[in-house]
Amino acid sequence: MFEAAFMQHAFLAGTLVSLVAGVVGTFVVARSYNYLTHSLSEIAFAGAAFGFLLGWPALVGMVLLTFLAALSIGSLENTKIRQDNVTSAISALAIGLGILFLALGHTASTAATGILFGSVLGISTTDLWVLAAMTVLVLLVLFLFYKPLRWLAFDEAGLLKRPSQTRALKILFLVVMALSVAISSQLVGSLLIFVLMTLPAASARYYQKTVGKLMALAIFFALFGTWTGLTLAYLTNLPTSVFIAVIEVVIYLVSALTAE
Amino acid sequence: MTAVISVADYQATFGQKTILKQVSFTLKGPAFTVILGENGAGKTTLMKAVLKAALAPHPGSAIQVQADRLAYVPQFRDLGDDYPLSIAAFVGLGLNRGFRPWTTAAEKKRLRWALAQVDLADKADLALAAASGGQKQRAYIAQALVQQPDLLILDEPTASLDAKHTAVLIARLRALQQETGMLVLFISHDTSWVSQYADNYLWLHDQQVTVGAAAALPQAAQSKHSEEVHHV
Repeated sequence: MFEAAFMQHAFLAGTLVSLVAGVVGTFVVARSYNYLTHSLSEIAFAGAAFGFLLGWPALVGMVLLTFLAALSIGSLENTKIRQDNVTSAISALAIGLGILFLALGHTASTAATGILFGSVLGISTTDLWVLAAMTVLVLLVLFLFYKPLRWLAFDEAGLLKRPSQTRALKILFLVVMALSVAISSQLVGSLLIFVLMTLPAASARYYQKTVGKLMALAIFFALFGTWTGLTLAYLTNLPTSVFIAVIEVVIYLVSALTAE
Repeated sequence: MTAVISVADYQATFGQKTILKQVSFTLKGPAFTVILGENGAGKTTLMKAVLKAALAPHPGSAIQVQADRLAYVPQFRDLGDDYPLSIAAFVGLGLNRGFRPWTTAAEKKRLRWALAQVDLADKADLALAAASGGQKQRAYIAQALVQQPDLLILDEPTASLDAKHTAVLIARLRALQQETGMLVLFISHDTSWVSQYADNYLWLHDQQVTVGAAAALPQAAQSKHSEEVHHV
């Protein structure tokens, strides 16, 4: 299985994505931002379509648009507008633009399917390098700002910072989340973002009681699903996303049902 | 350092209504100060203004706060029934200094100290969501203590506790305040314990504040707490 370069790429990409998704997903679930990841992934779809239109790698377009979206959601978050309304407006616009970019770029439907449902088996060496650089960036930011981000995610009411610092921290978190969504979309596609960003972290909450252990177990669940999914996809010639989605959902259901 | 709060001609309005009119006072640590007043008298407004002045100091503002480390226990915390963290992990959120993700040996020691102060050392691994109301309240206070504050502000931390647990918690806080020399501002609705445990009071009434020794708490400042509870 590992003789083929595309499988090596896929396993490497899957491992990087699982690391990011497990760590960032733990904060996302703690902050109940699950549905925001979905909106961001719709924006990632528009970004990828925009990338295709300009002849860029899909990930670059995704990163650009989700980054801009995170900044705008972050600045609107501090106003009196309801966040779910803002988010639905932005994601509606994103999907519309995505369709426009696909039409303008005469992008083949296989490419569009790849964005929406993931195309990890077709990942190129360039994509892999971009993915690795993004992963390092996200993990570095989390390393440096771990403690304040942890407090923001797990106890916002108790967080005591200068108002400008709290605002900056919230925007930083949204940016990290946006980048992670763009990264994860590479593997499972824009439509299945929950599969890696929220389900492993949500499942881990049934077993662990410290932030570090929640992250470790979320990474383990994500890696298990990804590696098993890739292997099954290789053996059956069916899409990888299907298997990863089913595995993560089963892990979540078993965790929820067996919890005390 | 000794925490000092100086307030000069502070005015608070809520919409059209003036809550506090040109109030001035000084509070200095070490002391246990209780902030009293009816609902709507401006206790929380004043406390929030003090927090803001401490976090983002402004030379010309009416409130000046001198304190190295400030900690705050809010009145409400909606953490949800599926909150995953243990009591120790929750308290450890207060250890938030430095650009490094790990916890140092000194920080771990402080965490154990803070848990022991509120009598939660043997409940460290209990999930916070599974803890009783009193245990949760003590965990909130431990999270503030782990920051080693010289100014500690608590907004009605005993509101959800019964009389017995309230008395135990306040006695413990008083002892800690005396050990560490911090300035404690304790917003309270209930005044039954004030003369026994507090040094002084700050009473908000009729758009004014009155400051005095807790032993000489005016009759009018005393809450009708027991009457409220018993619906007299």
